[in-house]
Amino acid sequence: MNRAKLMLCVSAAAISLGTAAPTLAQEPVTLNIWTVDKTGQPTPDLAREFDESEADIDVVYREVNFADLMSEAMRAYSVGRAPDVFAVDNPDTAMLAANGALLDLTDMIEQSDIINVDEYFEGPMASATWDGRIYGVPKATNTIALFYNKDMFEEAGIEEPPKTWDELIEDARVLNDPENDVYGVAFSAKASEEGTFQFLPFVQMAGGDYENINSEGGVEALSFFKTLIDEGLASPDTVSRTQWASTATFNAGNAAMAISGPWEINRMADEAEFDWGVTLLPTPSEGSPRSSAMGDYNWVIFSSTEHPEEAFKALEFFAEQDKDLFERFGQIPARNDIDIPPTGNEAKDEALQVFLEQMQYSQPRGPHPEWPKISKAIQTALQSALAGSKTPQQALDQAQAQIDKITGK
Amino acid sequence: MRKALSTLWDGRGFDLLLVGIPLVFLIAISGSALVYNVIMSFQEVDIFSLGTFFRPFVGLDNYIAVLTDPQAWPIFGNTLIFVLCSLGGQFLFGFFLALFFNMQFPGSTYLRGLFLVSWVMPGLVTGAIWNWLLAGDFGVINFFLESIGVIDDPIFWRSSPDFALWSVIITNIWFGTAFNMILLSVGLAAIPKDLYEAASLDGANAFRRFYTITLPMMRPTIGALLSLGLIFTLQQFDLFAAITDGGPNNSSNVAQYWAWQLSFREYDFARGATVSVLMITLVIIAAVFYVRSTRHEVRG
Amino acid sequence: MTPTTRNTLLIACGLVLAAIYLFPLYWMYVTALKTSTAMFAAPPSFVPPNPQWDVFAGVWVERHMATYLKNSLIIASCSVLFIATLGSGCAYVLARYRSVWVDVGLFLVLMLQVLPASLMVTPIFVGFSQIGLLDYPRIAVIVAITAKAMPFFVVLVRATFMNVPAELEEAALVDGNSRFGAFFHIVLPLARNGILVSALLIFMQAFGEFVYSKSLIQDVELQPASVGLSTFMGPNSVDWNRIMAYASIYVTPILAAFVLLQRKIVSGLTSGALK
Repeated sequence: MNRAKLMLCVSAAAISLGTAAPTLAQEPVTLNIWTVDKTGQPTPDLAREFDESEADIDVVYREVNFADLMSEAMRAYSVGRAPDVFAVDNPDTAMLAANGALLDLTDMIEQSDIINVDEYFEGPMASATWDGRIYGVPKATNTIALFYNKDMFEEAGIEEPPKTWDELIEDARVLNDPENDVYGVAFSAKASEEGTFQFLPFVQMAGGDYENINSEGGVEALSFFKTLIDEGLASPDTVSRTQWASTATFNAGNAAMAISGPWEINRMADEAEFDWGVTLLPTPSEGSPRSSAMGDYNWVIFSSTEHPEEAFKALEFFAEQDKDLFERFGQIPARNDIDIPPTGNEAKDEALQVFLEQMQYSQPRGPHPEWPKISKAIQTALQSALAGSKTPQQALDQAQAQIDKITGK
Repeated sequence: MRKALSTLWDGRGFDLLLVGIPLVFLIAISGSALVYNVIMSFQEVDIFSLGTFFRPFVGLDNYIAVLTDPQAWPIFGNTLIFVLCSLGGQFLFGFFLALFFNMQFPGSTYLRGLFLVSWVMPGLVTGAIWNWLLAGDFGVINFFLESIGVIDDPIFWRSSPDFALWSVIITNIWFGTAFNMILLSVGLAAIPKDLYEAASLDGANAFRRFYTITLPMMRPTIGALLSLGLIFTLQQFDLFAAITDGGPNNSSNVAQYWAWQLSFREYDFARGATVSVLMITLVIIAAVFYVRSTRHEVRG
Repeated sequence: MTPTTRNTLLIACGLVLAAIYLFPLYWMYVTALKTSTAMFAAPPSFVPPNPQWDVFAGVWVERHMATYLKNSLIIASCSVLFIATLGSGCAYVLARYRSVWVDVGLFLVLMLQVLPASLMVTPIFVGFSQIGLLDYPRIAVIVAITAKAMPFFVVLVRATFMNVPAELEEAALVDGNSRFGAFFHIVLPLARNGILVSALLIFMQAFGEFVYSKSLIQDVELQPASVGLSTFMGPNSVDWNRIMAYASIYVTPILAAFVLLQRKIVSGLTSGALK
């Protein structure tokens, strides 16, 4: 910069200081957005589109690993460097909200023409609500159901997929074929949130929940899991494998059934060299109440943001794109007012319909501000019964004692 | 004044300068981080109060909570097994390889260089690869063991409570062998050849030469190596994260991984810090061991 | 046994040992070439049935590896430079004297690298943010890595200095050199090989470091390849074959350089140059 230019700048600055601020062209506002989404998943694209559609907003997107998501966000928040917009795993929303880290969106949503609480599924919306106030907007939703290998079922002469737990065990016994490295069923009981995610729906179907995990239902559910492992109907690796890795064994033909979610549909369509189908999660007995897990994230705004209006604008922009969410990214919007168009691939479309039906039974985990600790207690019970020497009752009694301490009962 | 300045390049001041700057730097960064952990272990830490020192003190509550936790003692036991076996395995394999390549045959230095790959690999990558090798149903290690008839059924390395810790130990031994080998090679090469020749003339056999010459001459190297190895082993984190995640049922959990789990999975930073302070105590013992071992060194 | 049979035998043993030891590396390359379902097949295939050669180019472009690797190089080189400058002098003094204070110094140096980076990162993050260092993320990471790896360097290099005969330094002092002159002209050149090798070992560590980089550097454009890799390895939507391809691209250049250079380094180091 030469001297003349510098002078010009200085005088321009002087003038602008002297004149009234509003006449100035506004500095673009910078919005920081953090999610776990990678290339090919919604946020990188949507954030860029939002950036382009708003001249006076600059969007900076950061992809964070799932395992680091909460610790990164909290660490940043504690030193005043939190992002403006953040996608939090739905069971962790309550923890952030209860600690005052999130902006209360209730009033903004009430005045919004775009975001309408009634248009969202109840479960996801409940996970974004704490103490009667709304702190988040569901980003998408997912759940789990039972995938099965139609070819294997046909070969074994089983006409339809299992409807109850007993049927599932029966079918798994028939389909289990250690000689050819085929397990009856694949699922995940890993000591992480994934384990809780897969296990809790079974507890809920049997009439329990995290508050009464050692009830009859809880024990029944854990005994069901334990039977699958003890009889070798599921791989011993079940206790250490993620859902993604477990389902991969199903895709490779090494398991006849798999408990997993809609995020698998595309991979399965590409890689599985057999006919497959999806059915609702089996229930403890015919006609018992259904339940399923509820996954995915909530959009939230950190209370430390300097640009709440712009941040909320981003949330509105994302909500507007919900209608194309499945078509573009294969994710299911948490909305009851959006019909998902068929893809033309029969297996995929059938699977999607099953997941949409299963979604109606999905229940949030919590909400509770200490959810990570509650979940840890459940995981410990799962592990000590499946891989350790505890009986389901002992394992769940210990979990119950820990949970009671956390919830203050 | 001038004298004070000249001492900086010609006298005690020179030494103090050389050793002082790095020490101050280390204390400022690592030291204060350590202190932060120690303070946290006596406080009640809220997940959102990480940015401040001013948190309620709770005395020894965190220590009591950790030590009365039913998981604590099995985990400390695992830590001990992990450290001793990793350290021993790395050292023995490393020493064996160093002696082997010290025999000087065509291509020996080149082959030795290949063994350094495990040092070059980032822990993240090593963990991911071994994760595959050790897999129960489709893992290669099981495949090998089955095809040579050692086992009939696959071992579920990562998921069996009996093997999970060992799968991390095996990986860690692979990981650390290269480092031990190269340092021991350097130590071996520094032993004057004429010592061996003289001993041979006196009729000492290979075992005796090893025992009376190699080992005593290698003492400083071995001392430094074992204490560094101990610290590396206690720091080992990536492999647990990649292979067993401390499971199943904590059967492969060790103190450093537990501390992290408490902090970042349950967001109980105070107890996480408490476990790490307990670990430091263990390392103090190691440091004393190292410092004592240097007493036997002779310079030049 | 003739020298030739002895050598042949030793070479054969060496090759077998190397084959066993290097198998994990081979497996990395093979896994990279498999389709994601073939990876989970039992029994495993040792030669990928349908090698996906384009995976490397695909991963290179899609994961922006050029930028990542450039950042890794910058961070690792600067850290090593920093560590070697600060650490060599420290190691020299600690090797030169025998006293309680040296013991205390060594003790401190070791104590300071006790905790895994994953436990140190929170206090470091908080501290750096308070002094404003987080606004210069690259420098922040270099400083953190320096503090992490220097103790290791000091202990290694100290052993090297122990092997430099004290008489040589004393002779230089008698000849009228200052302490400064004797250190730079006599002692340092004699310890050069040890310092270089230790620096190389540190470089490898710094090149693979990811815990600090992940938390301290939030701008993707500045992150090193290790962070790129760890972001790639999420619990869901993970393609291990492509992760292995990433890992292959990440370690192969370093590996190649190392294998080429090591002959010089290791032989220089072990041929008595240290004495």
